[in-house]
Amino acid sequence: MSQKEIKDEDARLVYINDAERTNESFDFTGNSIKTAKYSVFTFLPRNLFEQFHRVAYVYFLVIAVLNQLPQLAVFGRGASIMPLAFVLLVSAIKDAYEDFRRHRSDRVENNRLALVFEEGRFREKQWKYIRVGEVVKVVSNQTLPCDMVLLATSDPTGVVYVQTTNLDGESNLKTRYAKQETLQKAADLETFNGFIKCEKPNRNIYGFQANMEIDGRRLSLGPSNIILRGCELKNTEWALGVVVYAGGETKAMLNNSGAPSKRSRLETRMNLEIILLSLFLIALCTTAAATAAVWLRRHRDDLDTILFYRRKDYSERPGGKNHNYYGWGWEIFFTFFMAVIVYQIMIPISLYISMELVRIGQAYFMTRDDQMYDESSNSSFQCRALNINEDLGQIKYLFSDKTGTLTDNKMEFQCACIGGVDYSDWKSADSEHAGYSIEVDGNILKPKMRVRVDPELLELTKNGYATKEAKRANEFFLSLAACNTIVPIVTNTSDPNVKLVDYQGESPDEQALVYAAASYGFLLIERTSGHIVINVRGEMQRYNVLGLHEFDSDRKRMSVILGCPDTSVKLFVKGADSSMFSVMDESYGDVIEETKKQLHAYSSDGLRTLVVGMRKLNDSEFEQWHSSFEAASTALIGRAGLLRKVAGNIETKLRIVGATAIEDKLQRGVPEAIESLRIAGIKVWVLTGDKQETAISIGFSSRLLTRNMRQIVINSNSLDSCRRSLEEANASIESNEESVALIIDGTSLIYVLDNDLEDVLFQVACKCSAVLCCRVAPFQKAGIVALVKNRTSDMTLAIGDGANDVSMIQMADVGVGISGQEGRQAVMASDFAMGQFRFLVPLLLVHGHWNYQRMGYMILYNFYRNAVFVLILFWYVLFTCYTLTTAITEWSSVLYSVIYTSVPTIIIGILDKDLGRRTLLNHPQLYGVGQRGEGYSTTLFWYMMFDTIWQSAAIFFIPLFAYWGSTIDTSSLGDLWTIAAVVVVNLHLAMDIIRWNWITHAAIWGSIVAACICVIVIDVIPSLPGYWAIFEVTSTWMFWFCLLAIVVTSLLPRFAIKYLGEYYRPSDVRIAREAEKLGTFIESQTMETEMNQIGDPPRR
Amino acid sequence: MSSNTASSSAGSGDSSAARKNSKRPKCIDYSSALLSLTLLDSKFTQQELPACKPILTPGWVISTFLIVSVIFIPLGVISLFASQDVVEIVDRYDNDCIPAPARTNKVAFIQGAAPKSCNRTLTVTKRMKQPIYVYYQLENFYQNHRRYVKSRSDSQLRSPKFENQISACKPEDDAGGKPIVPCGLIAWSLFNGTYTLSRNNTPLAVNKKGIAWKSDKEHKFGNKVFPKNFQKGNLTGGATLNPDIPLSEQEDLIVWMRTAALPTFRKLYGKIETDLENGDTIQVTLQNNYNTYSFSGNKKLVLSTTSWLGGKNDFLGIAYLTVGGICFFLALAFTIMYLVKPRRLGDPSYLSWNRNPGGGR
Repeated sequence: MSQKEIKDEDARLVYINDAERTNESFDFTGNSIKTAKYSVFTFLPRNLFEQFHRVAYVYFLVIAVLNQLPQLAVFGRGASIMPLAFVLLVSAIKDAYEDFRRHRSDRVENNRLALVFEEGRFREKQWKYIRVGEVVKVVSNQTLPCDMVLLATSDPTGVVYVQTTNLDGESNLKTRYAKQETLQKAADLETFNGFIKCEKPNRNIYGFQANMEIDGRRLSLGPSNIILRGCELKNTEWALGVVVYAGGETKAMLNNSGAPSKRSRLETRMNLEIILLSLFLIALCTTAAATAAVWLRRHRDDLDTILFYRRKDYSERPGGKNHNYYGWGWEIFFTFFMAVIVYQIMIPISLYISMELVRIGQAYFMTRDDQMYDESSNSSFQCRALNINEDLGQIKYLFSDKTGTLTDNKMEFQCACIGGVDYSDWKSADSEHAGYSIEVDGNILKPKMRVRVDPELLELTKNGYATKEAKRANEFFLSLAACNTIVPIVTNTSDPNVKLVDYQGESPDEQALVYAAASYGFLLIERTSGHIVINVRGEMQRYNVLGLHEFDSDRKRMSVILGCPDTSVKLFVKGADSSMFSVMDESYGDVIEETKKQLHAYSSDGLRTLVVGMRKLNDSEFEQWHSSFEAASTALIGRAGLLRKVAGNIETKLRIVGATAIEDKLQRGVPEAIESLRIAGIKVWVLTGDKQETAISIGFSSRLLTRNMRQIVINSNSLDSCRRSLEEANASIESNEESVALIIDGTSLIYVLDNDLEDVLFQVACKCSAVLCCRVAPFQKAGIVALVKNRTSDMTLAIGDGANDVSMIQMADVGVGISGQEGRQAVMASDFAMGQFRFLVPLLLVHGHWNYQRMGYMILYNFYRNAVFVLILFWYVLFTCYTLTTAITEWSSVLYSVIYTSVPTIIIGILDKDLGRRTLLNHPQLYGVGQRGEGYSTTLFWYMMFDTIWQSAAIFFIPLFAYWGSTIDTSSLGDLWTIAAVVVVNLHLAMDIIRWNWITHAAIWGSIVAACICVIVIDVIPSLPGYWAIFEVTSTWMFWFCLLAIVVTSLLPRFAIKYLGEYYRPSDVRIAREAEKLGTFIESQTMETEMNQIGDPPRR
Repeated sequence: MSSNTASSSAGSGDSSAARKNSKRPKCIDYSSALLSLTLLDSKFTQQELPACKPILTPGWVISTFLIVSVIFIPLGVISLFASQDVVEIVDRYDNDCIPAPARTNKVAFIQGAAPKSCNRTLTVTKRMKQPIYVYYQLENFYQNHRRYVKSRSDSQLRSPKFENQISACKPEDDAGGKPIVPCGLIAWSLFNGTYTLSRNNTPLAVNKKGIAWKSDKEHKFGNKVFPKNFQKGNLTGGATLNPDIPLSEQEDLIVWMRTAALPTFRKLYGKIETDLENGDTIQVTLQNNYNTYSFSGNKKLVLSTTSWLGGKNDFLGIAYLTVGGICFFLALAFTIMYLVKPRRLGDPSYLSWNRNPGGGR
């Protein structure tokens, strides 16, 4: 990464401590923030504008507008606008309330105080008035008001520690530096003058590029020189910085974007049926228009005299003029559009709103699920995307990261190999070992975490430099304590004499190593940018840090150059074995060989290994290095590359000191989780950056691989060999049906991806029950997901915890983030976030299954519900001279899908469970229902539609024939139809409910009662034609006889077919439900005990 | 304090404690109420609310069908009986009441000034108990036509204040600029046929009071609203109204304004409050004024008794018998199927992955 020159047009110029000049020509954003969307005046237009982005609302609006044309006015003004107005009003109130809260928090935030340098001294100033270019002083534990370039800190070396929890969720301390050049100058701010040329505001919180020019000297600034809004200052008395980005342009605010939006597979799938329904709608409207046309044509000569038509209005002028008649063609046209208005709910637009409500409800239950609550991190499940709940029930491919996802990412020092000798004798380790502690100035210092020690090795270190082994052991732990970027923080405990040393750092591996060193008596106590203090078995030793080469992924190692108390200069290097052995001094060949052997043994046990080497530098070497290091670190262009080169030059001919093995423990329940996911038919792919041996051993311990699996390993260094081995593998699997695991490494993947080999790999991988990709680079992860996603219509899920998983999480259909040790970037990019890998099991097998079944049923039911009503309206047209009269009152038509029938389907969509949690967990195969798409299909749609036609016919024609030629009036018959439709539709739902609890009962019966109350209320308004009709009609026996006949007749076929289907061709779900109820699941006892770990976590 | 309530699930020791407590005044132990509330809450959030899980077992289904058939068949029988009990005399007169020479152009005749009086003779074939309802039945008359049903003003009917609310009434809203009361096509087309009945040459009283809904008379049609400018337009539709009688008393209008739901409908004309004996002849002198000829509609005079279920209509009885029969048949069929080919409920060996192991995934 070279330090590029920032082009003028892409730069912003900040004059230090000169806000006037800075803002003169550009007027940068002030520091007041505004997360609120609306003001009092803009609320109405903006909110309406945003709401109408939804297609559903536009449809509502178009229909309502059509209805306002006098020729098309089917419904009255009120009835046509009410549903839309209601929905708009509810959303608007919700938005207004949320915005009010944002306003309030904005106000609090904007009025916080900060120290700003003005007129020669620091004065308190409200945050909102801080401007770019001003110098701000922040004291310890204060939150930073804006993004600032550091000028000076209380630490003479210019170090400052910040906690970035608010920004990326990482709780460890990060070090930031003020430039040496500004440190002294900052003491006299009045005369400070210079400017910073930095890039335009962007949302990358890990990058910053700028140049600073003071007194004609140019300095280059990087991400380590800037502190960001939202961070907290820690362990530093004060820091001075110049504001470069303020308010809405700070990186924290720019990152405040909403959750990603995806569309669920089911919803996409549903569009096909929506199109079919639109065709139905058009067919119905065309029929209505055509029959009306035929009637008008046949009676065209009589229209003036037909008593119920009377085309002419004679009052206007003699001879009369046509009233509301515009000729044959127009009448057809108007009839068609009136039909569209009357039959509008054929397209169940309310379904979209119901689906949103249901998803919110489902998300609530997922969030509140105790089984997905992580006690260790005190975090519950998070639904970040609200649109894809039901996709969780259809996952076929699972891509998982390893470190932090399958494992805890809590590193534990396990073994050491010093001088080729293995020290990992834990058996004799004293479990009551009190942990290492020392006394300094009357205080007892203790490392915060205890590490088990090998007593033999402990004895050895105590020998000092007596033997060769002891010397090596001491060097080993000294390098562990010194060669890192860990910051020790001494904290108080309840006992005033006891102080704890807490090691904070960005790498968990380093933390583990430093804690290990501390346990063996090498206690790192202090670190500044210039020196470190290590307490070696009670003796304070001060080492000057002469140079530090940070870890980078090309070198895969880091090194530090220390000036030791004995004035010698030593280089300590620590890194991955692959990169270390190439820079070792070959003269220690036997030790290297031994170490390599040990390393192989370690990684076979699934341990992460690091190799440590060191070298004494002589004066000339040091001088040479020092000058080139100085030159490189002040270089303006290509600094990073230069530094890397300097590091590469010095890190040679190392003497091997030893190797470490760190265990990254599997998370609780991971093997069981992977096993049940595999039984559920989900193909699990693990993508890891680890070595092949480590990956395979983790594969075994996580039960991804089993002993009876044949392993196909692909380790190729060229395109041809890769092709050959893949094709061989492909051929070999075809021959037999054993279970096979594919293990492929990153180098081979380079040849496979973006190549025609992708197809072969996909074929091979499809036949394998497990796939393990090791040594995978982050960009390859997304490539692998894309490889699968583009070749199959099956759903993919990616789960990961680190920044390197973000691309994969975004690529997959469903992205799950683990809120773990590696920060929150994965969570920010994910659709769902949770604390532990094993929560995937309840998430997919239980909630995914439920959500899918519920949503699938709800969609079908909503289609049915609306179509029944529309068809009842349609049948009546055939008996009203083909005009669009509705016997059902317009208010009932409007309220039908709002009040009469909507609540139960939403409640069922949130609460109904086809199977219990325990059954679903014990029989992961039941997950196949979603994978095979059995909950929603075109077949089910047509079945539903035929049922709809029958039911609507029964509802319509039974009263029609019963009342034919009687005195029945329109309103009474309409009321009968209304109530019959509501009862039938709700009972239909009731028939399909699987679990009846009190809420379901309340919803179903409550809806019927509510519908009756509404009908009654409509009928007690004297100004409506239907006045008192409901009382008149219900006082006759005929009404009740019709109602009973309707209900039984319409539901009879469905009931019989449902029974026959469930009894004679039972689905898995049905059998499981019977077994659940009758308790016939006696098999698979063993599995149950295994599952308990997932199924029964301690209750909160 | 909540130690014994917290372990409320534990058995006997608990109940003795409860007994001891019961002597104290009955104040609710709030901590236990809170506990049960949080338990309920956690049951709710964990979606474990106590629930009933019915499944369709053969026993349930067969007994449901049996119960339905046991209920429906008797109901069908009594409905049929009710319908059979109704005695109905129907006389279609629209064609016969036009003199033979005028039948080529019925519309011209009905619009013309020729006398429309017509005599009909009906014979009672079965004893009819009072009250006997006199209806006129119109067929092919679409009182539910969209244009027609909308053409009325309900507020105008209710109160003289709203006399001018006639916008919905077009094309029969005003006459010479003055509002028509009652306005609209419905009122305008009020049926104007009249029937005078006599039995065996003695006049038979037809009571025309109480034929409309009480609710309509009391609340929907105002007793201070009098007909105005009615049938004064260029085209007379149907009957005229006595301008001195308030709308609430114009029962024929009220009946007519309850628009019929179906194109074949009856409207109550009056009630005969004496029994008619078998063999009685009824002479009807009717005024055949109403123009149904322009849309080939029928007119019928109906004398009918009613049963508790309404008029003469076998449909419902037959429907009940059919549904009951089908249910009985299904119950039988399902029983046989169950006996021939039973399936053990909840047998895990039917699960797809147990049926064909290995092929499952």
